[in-house]
Amino acid sequence: MKHFKQILFCCLVCTHLQFSCGKDAGVSSNQATASVGVGTGGSMARFTIIGNYLYTVDSKNLKVFSIADPVNPILKNTVAIGFEIETIYPFKDKLFIGSTSAVYIYSISNPEQPARLGTAISPNVIRRCDPVIARDTVAYATLRTNSACGGGPQSILAVYDVKNIQNPIQKTFLNITEPYGLGFADSTLYVATKNGLNIYNINTEYNPFFIRNDRSQDWFYDVIPFGNVLICWVKDGVLFFDITNRRNPVFISKIV
Amino acid sequence: MKIAILIFIAFSFVACERQSVNEPSGTVAAFVPVYAKIVDVQTIELLQSQATVVAGKIYAYNNFVYQNEMQKGFHIIKNMGANNFQKVGFLKVPFCTEIAIKGNYLYCNNINDLVVFNITDPANPLFVKRVKEAFPVINQTYPPVSNTAFQCVDNSKGIVTNWERKTIPTPKCRR
Repeated sequence: MKHFKQILFCCLVCTHLQFSCGKDAGVSSNQATASVGVGTGGSMARFTIIGNYLYTVDSKNLKVFSIADPVNPILKNTVAIGFEIETIYPFKDKLFIGSTSAVYIYSISNPEQPARLGTAISPNVIRRCDPVIARDTVAYATLRTNSACGGGPQSILAVYDVKNIQNPIQKTFLNITEPYGLGFADSTLYVATKNGLNIYNINTEYNPFFIRNDRSQDWFYDVIPFGNVLICWVKDGVLFFDITNRRNPVFISKIV
Repeated sequence: MKIAILIFIAFSFVACERQSVNEPSGTVAAFVPVYAKIVDVQTIELLQSQATVVAGKIYAYNNFVYQNEMQKGFHIIKNMGANNFQKVGFLKVPFCTEIAIKGNYLYCNNINDLVVFNITDPANPLFVKRVKEAFPVINQTYPPVSNTAFQCVDNSKGIVTNWERKTIPTPKCRR
């Protein structure tokens, strides 16, 4: 169990929150931080905007820029984190900062003074993981095994109870082939894989039910549910689905 | 004077210490620096839309999608209506890998600077601010691999942004 907690921590921070603009009332998709007018990013980002602050990570440092005056970003703080920092992931009032070997958890209750709450050292088998998304009480993570991620012989989609974010509990997992980023809209989960888009019913949040795979000819890296459109980063460009019917994405076009 | 010369010689050895010179004749496969001029890498311009070569991260904002072209800039894609998505331009931002947007402002990296664009017209980002040296300098002094030969860096040629593997006369530098 501890192992999975560490995997989750690793993955939580190896990703970037996918903001929702929330333009469509009643639509719930990947939203964890309600920042007015903030765009929606994909996974593995090193920039994130929360309120009037732009947080960035380079290989060693977390930087806090005030963008209260949007045309004049002011560096407010530089916090040395560690080495081989890769990603920043905001969840609730925390920042999870991922490196290839550890996860650092910072409180941003004082936005200009991130304060370290803890460090999760990943076991050697976990060097790098893949995105996770979370909403109030559940997180979904993909753990890919064909990379430096390690973690075992089979890639999985893992499901966690995150009522206590510092003590995630794995509820279940599904086998999946070479997964990358993921995103949800209402009670449908979309997972990017090397061989197409996987679609899951997450009506029962801790028990995703595989519906189908689509566009197996395309190598998907990430997805952004955005209103009634699913925007997908594919290996040769960007691809769009109409997800007015969440469970039945309809291919629109691919831009290369 | 003699002391000064001795100190100079001593420092010369220190300077060379990590570049152990062991020069058998012939050629080897070695890393060769790829240079870029600072003035070039700071050149930002809006260009005609172009084909995607190495697709990078995506970012959505209102009716627009920005897709990074790895290390080159980003494609500007517009929903023309009824989910008709079209490329409408390409913003060249050398060594850009990250984008974030709030309100009418887009923030991205350009080499080691943070740059800000006004995107009141999202198809027409207007440069408004450069925050210099917001991030570590990309300039590299050695290749990303240990125990290898590489062509010594000559900073008079610019900053080193990448390394290529080539067969060259045995180089003087190693790490």
